Amino acid sequence: MSGVDPAVREQVERLMVDSAMFIDRDELDAWVDCFEPEGRYVVMPRENRILDLPVGIIHCETRARIQDRIVCLRHANKYNPHFDRHILSASRINDVVDGVAAVETNFLVVQTTKTGESRLFCAGCYEDRIRVRGDTAKFAERIAVLDTFSVPTLLATPV
Amino acid sequence: MNDPNAIWQRRDYSRVPFELYHDPEIYRLEQDKLFRGPTWSVLGLEAEIPRLGDYRICYVGDVPVVFNRDAEGRVNAFVNRCAHRGAEIAREPFGNVQDFTCIYHNWCYSHQGDLVGVPFARGVKGRGGMPPNFDMGQHGLRTLRVATLKGIIFGTFSETTEPLESYLGPMVVENVGEIFDKPIRLLGYQRQRISANWKLYLENVRDAYHASILHEFNRTFGLSRLTQTSGGHMDDRHRHAMLFQYKGSDADDEARKAYADDRVQRDDYMTLNDGSLVDYIRESQNGISTRIISIFPNAVVHQIANCLGIRRVRARGLAELEIEFLAFGYQDDDDAMTAHRVNQANMVGPAGLISMEDGEALELVQRATSAYGEGEGIVEMGGTGPLVNLDTRVNEIPVRGFWSYYSELLGIAPNGAER
Repeated sequence: MSGVDPAVREQVERLMVDSAMFIDRDELDAWVDCFEPEGRYVVMPRENRILDLPVGIIHCETRARIQDRIVCLRHANKYNPHFDRHILSASRINDVVDGVAAVETNFLVVQTTKTGESRLFCAGCYEDRIRVRGDTAKFAERIAVLDTFSVPTLLATPV
Repeated sequence: MNDPNAIWQRRDYSRVPFELYHDPEIYRLEQDKLFRGPTWSVLGLEAEIPRLGDYRICYVGDVPVVFNRDAEGRVNAFVNRCAHRGAEIAREPFGNVQDFTCIYHNWCYSHQGDLVGVPFARGVKGRGGMPPNFDMGQHGLRTLRVATLKGIIFGTFSETTEPLESYLGPMVVENVGEIFDKPIRLLGYQRQRISANWKLYLENVRDAYHASILHEFNRTFGLSRLTQTSGGHMDDRHRHAMLFQYKGSDADDEARKAYADDRVQRDDYMTLNDGSLVDYIRESQNGISTRIISIFPNAVVHQIANCLGIRRVRARGLAELEIEFLAFGYQDDDDAMTAHRVNQANMVGPAGLISMEDGEALELVQRATSAYGEGEGIVEMGGTGPLVNLDTRVNEIPVRGFWSYYSELLGIAPNGAER
């Protein structure tokens, strides 16, 4: 979209990069803080999107529920030990309405084992609604549409 | 692997040779005797092909199969392989079509799998074409016999497979029947590919013992605990199994003490902002809160609180399996109930709060037993000897039940085996 306020674009791009980096650095509490209290986070298989079916692989309607996910991950879940690297495309800002930017960004996640072997874990597209207020930006909604919806091994850390 | 008595150390299947997960000869036998033998595989749900002309691709063992609804509304199934040169015919995983046309030479088939068109069969300008004795009626697709139970579609390659209801037995018919007693609404697919032999997953869903140990979420929130009223039951041939649970039938304190005494749990417990994630809104007749119903050979029907689903399990060669979780609710659910089921679908699938661990556990077994294949796994929880139903989940007997029926089908049961 042409004519996007450069200040808005800057905030959007900073949130995109920070939120990905927080996951890769395992700073998941900081990642949760990238969402508004009413912020939604859904990892949506592309096939369900095509069929208009509501179930996600992860489906959190509020930030409190996103936080529950992280508590479970830290406390209860056992999963394949690994490092993540998020590789992002440039963001396309489709529109800005009432301070909320609708943004699409492609992603790849490369997973690396603790013995140094990497694999492409997934490809997809973030469909975000980002509220920009002054010098802060937060996710009002993040839908990570997964092209790689036949998930290899398991999906523990957020995408 | 020719002498059954050399494979099995014990006639009650309480030792499982690791080699069974890695032997290509065993894999070939499974395809032949088990998936193409006298068994009913789950193909899918009628709700996946609601309209006339709809189809979806599924798998029976290695074999891609198309199930579909024809112009008369009947359900059919055939192998997705052109009779001409063996190309895949349906190329999209699902769709709605007038007919099935192979792109290679445009041979065309009906929804029943009959060959209805061969381009240029009579040649061009009197030259070429098929011989006059070529009979299209003799060259349809390989079809499967189809039967349904309450909207679940089953298929079999064998002419000798017993009738579906007797194959499933009263336990499966009654419990699956209760879950599918009303028209369902599909809520979505979740898929997981695990680098492990498919049988490790079939054992996993029959293993009552691991569910509250590996899956800490289960024991913390009382969805499944060994201290509850619970059990592991089988049909009388021990091929199918049901692990079940009554949430609320134990006290949190009692459970915590039990898991602490047996050194499973440290003394720290997480809490959730959103308690509804683990709430069970009662909807089963008898108050049962969790049912994991394994249908031999390839499916699981689950009810975990209000999270309902069916899983199709597919072997992708010796060392990889895919689980396809299909979540559903009922057509008469209100919006709040649908939202509750969508929320509880967080518990299953590749990121499931009580299922993701299985992906890791199975790969651990696959790797370690592949690297060092000698020896056997131990299956003695709940006792050895006869294959009996127990009203406790400190119990692995349904795992032995699986091997008993599996070995019978493959013709590798030892002399005097439990069955």
